[in-house]
Amino acid sequence: MARDIVAGIFCCTGTFFFILGTTGLLRMPDLFTRLHPSTKCDTLGACSVIVGMAVHNGWSWDLLKLVFIACFLLLSSATCGHAIGRSALRRHIPYWKKKEVKEDGHGA
Amino acid sequence: MKRVAALLFIAALAVLLLYVVSRMPPMGDPETPTATHVIPRYLEKAEEETHTVNVITGVILNYRGYDTMGEVTVIFCALAAVLAVLGRERRGVIHGFVDRSEVPSSTIVRTMVRFIVPFIILFSVYTILHGETSPGGGFQGGAIIGGSMIIFTTIFGLYESSRRIPLKVRAPLEGAAVMGFFLVGTLGLVGGGNFLTYAWPRVAQDLHPSLVVWLTVLVEVGIGLGGAMVLTSILFAMIREEEEIATVS
Repeated sequence: MARDIVAGIFCCTGTFFFILGTTGLLRMPDLFTRLHPSTKCDTLGACSVIVGMAVHNGWSWDLLKLVFIACFLLLSSATCGHAIGRSALRRHIPYWKKKEVKEDGHGA
Repeated sequence: MKRVAALLFIAALAVLLLYVVSRMPPMGDPETPTATHVIPRYLEKAEEETHTVNVITGVILNYRGYDTMGEVTVIFCALAAVLAVLGRERRGVIHGFVDRSEVPSSTIVRTMVRFIVPFIILFSVYTILHGETSPGGGFQGGAIIGGSMIIFTTIFGLYESSRRIPLKVRAPLEGAAVMGFFLVGTLGLVGGGNFLTYAWPRVAQDLHPSLVVWLTVLVEVGIGLGGAMVLTSILFAMIREEEEIATVS
């Protein structure tokens, strides 16, 4: 029972971070600020859900699989964020500035 | 005049099709023949008839083996069409690679791809071999191998990846899916059954049922390898074409 509650709390936290990340992806003004919330989806969101499932499952072989999934998710997500950010930086994609938005009203 | 005739024809066709649609049973109706005969039959008999625990694999590879064989042939034809348009690299010639990207890939990405691609291929092997007991199968596993090759090629370039899977390995394996199906199907014929009867009923009815499972696995492996190689070959042909365009211009 207590295990179910703890697992539920972890899964709800993960879902919350997913919602947060998606909202950020839609609402943020430019690539760099969008990259920031969207990487949170994978790290905090998915890992919380995985921790919740691990708590729900207890000690079993599935735990090992979940740990592997979490490891690969963290590695690949971090690499993706790095690649996108680095590529955007090297290509001189313009940053968002507050003034520009106020002038033309639509943003760059 | 021509236009009016075409319009009339389309209108008649639309009325006919709409009439047919209106006579179709509603979605998910439990009274249709499909729901009363086909589905229960598959669900109840699939395990003892096809010896595969995963009913979906049993249906795809055994009950509807002809259909799947056609699909596999379609994939092969797609590769043939792509190669007919773009052309195949010459045997033994490994294409040079020049990174024309504005931003060359970083050490982190290279290290990560080098680290993770073996695991992706391992996972695809798992997916292919567990096709008859759990979700998965040849098509999915082949697509995973193809995806890992796409990642590897985008990061390391055509030179490195075509060195690892040279043409003399790829070319025979591209037809592996079709060949696997024909081999297993013909074995059914030899055993006195119909084409694609896995169990070869008269000769070896008392044979261990795991033989049927092995034949299913053989077809799965064929589909996996063939699909992976077809995807890789299409990728290589397209990248080579792009390189040639970049070299000319």
